Amino acid sequence: MGNLVEVENLRAYYITQAYGVKRTVRAVDGISMTIREGEIYGIAGESGCGKSTLLRVLMAAHKPPLTVVEGTVKYVFGEMVVNALEMSEQEISDLRWKEISYVPQGSMHVLNPVRRIQDQFHDFISAHRQVSKRESREMTRKYLTELGLPESVLTAYPHQLSGGMRQRVTIALATILWPRLIFVDEPTTALDVVVQRGVIQLLKDVQEREGSTIVLITHDLGVHANLAERIAVLYAGQIVEEADARTILKTPRHPYTHYLIHSLPDLDERVERESIPGRPPALDNPPSGCRFHPRCPLAIEKCKNLEPQMVYLNSNHRVACHLVTEEIGLVHDAEKR
Amino acid sequence: MTLLKTYIIPRILQWALVIFIGVTLTFLIPRLSPINPVEQAVSRLTAFQTLSPEATIALRESLEDLYGLKGSLFDQYIAFWKRVLSGDLGPSFSSFPMSVNAMIANGIWWSIGLLGTAVVLSWVLGIFLGTLAGYFPNRLWTRVMESIVIVVYPVPYFIIAFTLLMLFAYYLPIFPLVGGASGTPSFSLGYFGSILRHSFLPAISVIIGATAFRFLMAKALTTSERTSDYVTYAEIAALPKRKILGVFIIRNTMLPQVTDLALSLGAIFEGALITEIVFSYPGIGSTLYNGIISADYNLIMGITLLSIIGVATASLLVDLTYPLFDPRVRLR
Repeated sequence: MGNLVEVENLRAYYITQAYGVKRTVRAVDGISMTIREGEIYGIAGESGCGKSTLLRVLMAAHKPPLTVVEGTVKYVFGEMVVNALEMSEQEISDLRWKEISYVPQGSMHVLNPVRRIQDQFHDFISAHRQVSKRESREMTRKYLTELGLPESVLTAYPHQLSGGMRQRVTIALATILWPRLIFVDEPTTALDVVVQRGVIQLLKDVQEREGSTIVLITHDLGVHANLAERIAVLYAGQIVEEADARTILKTPRHPYTHYLIHSLPDLDERVERESIPGRPPALDNPPSGCRFHPRCPLAIEKCKNLEPQMVYLNSNHRVACHLVTEEIGLVHDAEKR
Repeated sequence: MTLLKTYIIPRILQWALVIFIGVTLTFLIPRLSPINPVEQAVSRLTAFQTLSPEATIALRESLEDLYGLKGSLFDQYIAFWKRVLSGDLGPSFSSFPMSVNAMIANGIWWSIGLLGTAVVLSWVLGIFLGTLAGYFPNRLWTRVMESIVIVVYPVPYFIIAFTLLMLFAYYLPIFPLVGGASGTPSFSLGYFGSILRHSFLPAISVIIGATAFRFLMAKALTTSERTSDYVTYAEIAALPKRKILGVFIIRNTMLPQVTDLALSLGAIFEGALITEIVFSYPGIGSTLYNGIISADYNLIMGITLLSIIGVATASLLVDLTYPLFDPRVRLR
């Protein structure tokens, strides 16, 4: 399968200036990745590591103060390659929902409280297709039934639906025009486990039915384990490790990935979970060297001032950690001279 | 059915209670005033002629009877309610033998015409401009408009009114200085034009302040609505701007605005005191003012009663129609 999204050396900063004090928050700092057509690509990381910011830029929905300072994002639609960061407003809105769609974080409030669900579907569909109210209503009814949502939601108002139902309606709203690429931000946050299952299943159904590509962002590795085929682990605005889901979950190489996985609770053992020591760094002044070194129990001297390089363990597995580099006997570019 | 029981009936009871308390207070407050209208009338009559003490007593008694001031406070209160319920507000003290009903009827249509138009126009204009300003905060015309509003809004009303009056009725005599119309009342174009010309300045003076207020309110509401999750989402989904403004923003900011409009309309029944005095406009506000300076109890009570009923009914209507505007209220 070919690539659908190609990201190269992307840097996106929040640049603000208040009372003459300029502040730069490096939320995305040098990310390269490719997303393949038809896969579910997971992006994991703690709160504040730049996940949502990355998503904003990936779908070209960034607005000031968020500024892309370097790098490219390309969409590969068959023969056509689109430079996402150089699209005009018109080009962006032509792509939205038909090709690229978005399920936002906190779907509790993304539905207009004074519109019935079927009217909201009409608002969204008619923005991109020439449809009458009756046609959009029929489309909505058919699609919701296919996804196993009750027909009664059509005439309901958002406040009459449960949180899980609202999230599922939002997923349906985002995917009704069969987009090629769906960005999903924290789909299960604030939902209980049983409802989470329903939402995860729904995303799987949508993906299988339409063969779409899903980019899934969540801090919850349990959700990633259920859905994602490949996972990138983000720390302080950078990718620290990326591999297929199984490798990440079973044999992670980066200490941070290790911690992230081992902080998950298990049902069968009632031991204290290992939590990650310290806190995620402030991105306006990230630590030198490896950004994880202040919290890393395995840190060695060079972690403090030398930024680790991304190394490929195989074609699918890459990691940025001095320990791994040393273990496999590679030499850092900066040390070669 | 449950809606009727849990929502509509309590609202109507509340409305009745507000009016009951209002009527009671209207009855009590003038009676706490140190001015005694009977004594005033008696002294007016005895100022230029001498009456025998018997005649004075008889006069006083018949005046008390006429003014509804006979008997204990409680007897008066019962009699007051009887009259109110039969729609009779009694005779005016100051313009005797004219009835209060007739005096109110003389003034109320001027006030309704003037203020009704001004309130509705400023509401529409203020919301339209304020919403656009809130949605496009960085445009040049937004900044220009905002600067004008911020300068105009804090200017006290009577200064605006006097300035307009002096500029456009005195220095540049485009509009008439006093009154509600000139000529004989008729359904002719000329008389109608005269009404419009006379009401133009007072209406503009009200519209300026009210539009500025509405503009600021609409802008603030729109600003917070614009950053709401559902508007952000609709923007990411590239919905047309017109749709976002209409269905997502205005539809939501409309809720408090409708409430406020209804209450402003209810308040028309008390007239606009300063406007009507500055422009010598024959509305209910001037009538009330004259009633107050001549201790015309019945007139004051009549107008106060009318405005209590006006505001209470307006808020009842808001409560009853609110479920149509906001689906979230329907469940409660």
